[in-house]
Amino acid sequence: MQTFLQLTFSGLALGSIYALVALGFVVIYRASQVLNFAHGEFVMLGAFLMISLVQVGMWWIVALGVTMAVTGGVGMGVERAVLRPLIGRPVFVTIIVTIFVSALMRVAIFVIWGVSERGMPTPWDSTAVVEVMGARVLYNSVATIGATGLVLFSFYQLFQRSRVGVHMRATASDQEVALGLGIPVGRVFAFSWFLAGALAALAGVFLGTFPRNVDINMWLIALAAFPAVLIGGLESPLGAVIGGLALGVVQLLTQGYVNPLLGAFGNNFHQVFPYAIMIAFLVVKPYGLFGSREVERV
Amino acid sequence: MPTKPLSVRYEDDLRLLSSRWRQAGVILLVLVALVFPLRASSLWLTLGSEILVLTVGAVGLMILTGFTGQISIGHAAFIGIGGYTAAILGGTYGVPFWLILPVAGVLSAAVGLAIGPFALRLKGLYLAIVTLGLIFLVAHVLRSFPEVTGGLAGISVPMLWWFDGPTVSTSQVEVLGTPLSSMIQKYYIFLILTVIAVLFATNLRRSHTGRSMAAVRDRDVAAAVLGVDVARTKYIAFGVSSFLAGVAGAMFGWEAQFLTIDATVNLLISVEYIAIIVIGGLGTVVGAVFGAVVFVAFGQFADAFLGELPIISELSGAQRKAAFQAILVTSFLMAEPLGLFGIWLRVKSYFMAWPFRY
Repeated sequence: MQTFLQLTFSGLALGSIYALVALGFVVIYRASQVLNFAHGEFVMLGAFLMISLVQVGMWWIVALGVTMAVTGGVGMGVERAVLRPLIGRPVFVTIIVTIFVSALMRVAIFVIWGVSERGMPTPWDSTAVVEVMGARVLYNSVATIGATGLVLFSFYQLFQRSRVGVHMRATASDQEVALGLGIPVGRVFAFSWFLAGALAALAGVFLGTFPRNVDINMWLIALAAFPAVLIGGLESPLGAVIGGLALGVVQLLTQGYVNPLLGAFGNNFHQVFPYAIMIAFLVVKPYGLFGSREVERV
Repeated sequence: MPTKPLSVRYEDDLRLLSSRWRQAGVILLVLVALVFPLRASSLWLTLGSEILVLTVGAVGLMILTGFTGQISIGHAAFIGIGGYTAAILGGTYGVPFWLILPVAGVLSAAVGLAIGPFALRLKGLYLAIVTLGLIFLVAHVLRSFPEVTGGLAGISVPMLWWFDGPTVSTSQVEVLGTPLSSMIQKYYIFLILTVIAVLFATNLRRSHTGRSMAAVRDRDVAAAVLGVDVARTKYIAFGVSSFLAGVAGAMFGWEAQFLTIDATVNLLISVEYIAIIVIGGLGTVVGAVFGAVVFVAFGQFADAFLGELPIISELSGAQRKAAFQAILVTSFLMAEPLGLFGIWLRVKSYFMAWPFRY
């Protein structure tokens, strides 16, 4: 029971990070119908930037804000420079281009920060734990879940209540009509990429905290988050959040209970298991939990 | 340049190469490919073999993505299956290469057909991510049996002429009294395979199945209404494509002589193949060939001319190559949507209309 609770809590913490990453994918996809394969590099950029800013002596919370803003800005730049000219081109062209952008960003991060592993500084003691119903939960996990909850709530408010949110939803439902109604679709694209970049940076900061490290392989989190995005449905922010949380919990429970049963095959089984679930799930529901089914006409 | 001759007889329509100019071009290309290794240095020979390997794989992906319109970023999984089949059969059991080729193809095609049911339900990006999942699953299976696959340490891939017989690198094959080096032998074997693959794809495209594929690509619902068996067409596309990818994987293994899981079953390998077919021009077989040539040239160009720049020289060779290929391919795609085929169309129409502008 204690192990179960402990795994569930760490799973929720990891799941919050997946939720942030998945939400970024969805926000970008809704705006510009691009699956951004460079998203993992935004996560990694955020983490490295945060470490450098804290080392310079900036307050932690200010550094977090600056990191999110700068990473968001990079996202905006990528959209403007690379993806805006590709509007109206086939899907696989945007796939290749974002994968190549990701390769370039990885090289850039490697040149700037090198390959060494670093720990993410936190204002509280990084290894402190709190007892919840007999399970020892890291402060870091609690902070991750709390911060994610806060951000998701603000995102919901922004998305449902604000003018920008209405613009974003209108653009997602029909770009041409949105343009006709005078919504600045170009600016909505830019803002969506900014938002996704900022969310990715936040995910990166918390992904780098204690049990894990900040290193050059962090970008793999984005590939790991795909099952969450697809099971939730590519167009649905709610689906991304639910999918992300579920993915985190399922992954850690698999690691805790299933991996040992499988012997040699169980090494890192929890990392590919979500993909197997996703493939099986998509056969039953091809557009995920909340994705919109396309109406086909001849 | 003369325009395309009017087809007046059915036989004219059936001909593989419709005009004199095309015949001349193909003959020239084959001649260059035949004579080139006899004069080339070993670096150029390696590049030549690399182009041939990439061409076979790209033709496979072209059938799936270019002809049938199914996006796959899991091509590397099939390449990996082919490569590891060659490594295990050749290295552990001493099976000769000509027997490995069909086995690698069939194994890979079996996995490709297993993806078929998903392709019937899923479209576009959803299908793309499922094929991405295939990469992870295949890599995991390969990693889980290190005693067979060599695990993370990797595995060497011998290319044998005969059961437990001489490898291609140690045997002496003489042609007209001159012994051929192992690289040249490999090159010619690859060339034959490439020609077969290209001919096969060209003919497939002109067949009933090929036209069904184009119909499915352009509008699958409309194709179904017109009586095209969409499910069968997609199964055939996945089967043929992964068969060719398996063969290309075996060739890749022999070319590299040593495989590691991380470098073979890798997202970036899939992306290279997608880049090749998009650079060449989607939906054309020549596109796969020239896309491979240009892609290798890009990598070589990046390495040779741009490696001297200050920050760049700190990167490892592979990183540098990846970075420059990324920049070149991205800018190429942004500037020329139809790829090399689009450039060719413009050049051709310029000369055909000369001295007028259009």
